[in-house]
Amino acid sequence: MRALYTAATGMAAQELNVQVISNNIANLRTTGYKKQRAAFQDLIYDHVRRVGAQASDQGTVLPVGIDIGGGVKTVGTPRLMSQGTLSQTGNDLDVAIRGEGFFKIQMPDGTFGYTRDGTFQRDAQGRIVTTQGNPVQPTITIPQNASGLAINAQGQVSVTVPGSTTPTVLGQITLTRFINKAGLQPIGDNLFTDTPASGTPQDGIPNTDGAGDLQQSSLEQANVEVVTEISDLIAAQRAYEMNAKVISAADQMLQSTSNMFR
Amino acid sequence: MENMQLIGLSRQMTLERQIDVVANNVANANTSGFKADRSLFEEFLSPGARDDNFGYRDRRVSYVQDRATFKDLSQGPSEQTKNPLDIVVDGKAFLAVQTPGGERYTRDGGLQINAQGQLVTVTGNPVLGTGGPIVFQPGDRDINIAADGGITVREGVSRTDSVRGKLRLVEFAQPQKLLKDGNNLFAVGDAGAALPSTTSNVKQGFIEKSNVNAVTEMSRMIEVTRAYTQISAMLQTQGDQRRSALEKLAEVPA
Repeated sequence: MRALYTAATGMAAQELNVQVISNNIANLRTTGYKKQRAAFQDLIYDHVRRVGAQASDQGTVLPVGIDIGGGVKTVGTPRLMSQGTLSQTGNDLDVAIRGEGFFKIQMPDGTFGYTRDGTFQRDAQGRIVTTQGNPVQPTITIPQNASGLAINAQGQVSVTVPGSTTPTVLGQITLTRFINKAGLQPIGDNLFTDTPASGTPQDGIPNTDGAGDLQQSSLEQANVEVVTEISDLIAAQRAYEMNAKVISAADQMLQSTSNMFR
Repeated sequence: MENMQLIGLSRQMTLERQIDVVANNVANANTSGFKADRSLFEEFLSPGARDDNFGYRDRRVSYVQDRATFKDLSQGPSEQTKNPLDIVVDGKAFLAVQTPGGERYTRDGGLQINAQGQLVTVTGNPVLGTGGPIVFQPGDRDINIAADGGITVREGVSRTDSVRGKLRLVEFAQPQKLLKDGNNLFAVGDAGAALPSTTSNVKQGFIEKSNVNAVTEMSRMIEVTRAYTQISAMLQTQGDQRRSALEKLAEVPA
């Protein structure tokens, strides 16, 4: 009985759906997190009686056929790259991006990671680093005696050094853009890497050429909406239950068949 | 003599197929743009005996056979996602998609952009505009899809809209003849030419959910299971009758 296997694909799909939703809810308070969603498609059809087939010699054709579907499959878990809300933190090394772009991070293995999480720190050498200690690109070193760190909307980092009244510009934070930001691969730690699907990284100055601007002393919250997630969770759970019911219905039918012979 | 078993069998086979259809609908209860299937049955009259020598005319026996599954093409509910690349087609139209196997049509509006900047479906097939695939530039932001399918963006620091194309919305004279092709796609089949749609429009930031109605599917499932069990019971009774007849008739007095 095909229904058993069809319903099994449905249960597997809904199980994955619940996994994706639970990961979104778990990351509700993760800075710079972008929510995912499970995308499903129907499987191939068995065209038992093909629509439009000749029904007689007079050229009449079947107006409808018999198509039996084989269930559902998960095709992807695309990420929604929409802007999260900004929250003020008061910390002068917290930076949020308003608009397009990612911070470029130098990974220990020499490759680059990309993130929307602007919770930066200062390491022992005075470099601006992520909470994992990986330097933000291009590397900016803050002198030990500097005060009054300011990061403007265009990404210019400036400080005041003792004995000078004008701020000294230390460097420029760049933002990296991708033509398909949903094609980035998440590697954990709020980081993404580029893939053939994302397109090549394009570095640019914030607030120019369509890149977003920077907001100092703010952080970008996750773009997860609790109400949506909970209602999706309910829908997924009910769909799972319905598929389980179909399995027990098919089982009941098979049982009544096997009971026919005594 | 065998008729009763064969009729019962014909009904059970169609019921099995009907539960397959229900199972596929339920499995796709969360598939965006999915259109549910319904089953139709018809009577198959077996030809009676040709010979007229019988005292009474031979009674004709009717079997059940499945005639068709037809698509419920009604609009599914729209869910707000606020994603600029999610669209709902409001009306009878389909989005045209370019696949390696030729042009296909879909109602699944969860779109993506690929590495070349083309607007694609979630499986990576380009979505067609009136002038071919729709391509975005690296500096594009704030994608806007208007009700008529026109796609505009803000390019770089520009304060005015740049046009990136217009979605090709198509309708069919006989949409029932579209063939379900899997992957949320429909092949044209014998549905006639894909005509530009004049009545449908597009809503951005929403996604069309599956139009499978849980209550209908569950009650249909119960109906199928009950009918199947009843026929099994009927066939069983008949089997018992035949057995007792054989036992009684074959009883040889000692």
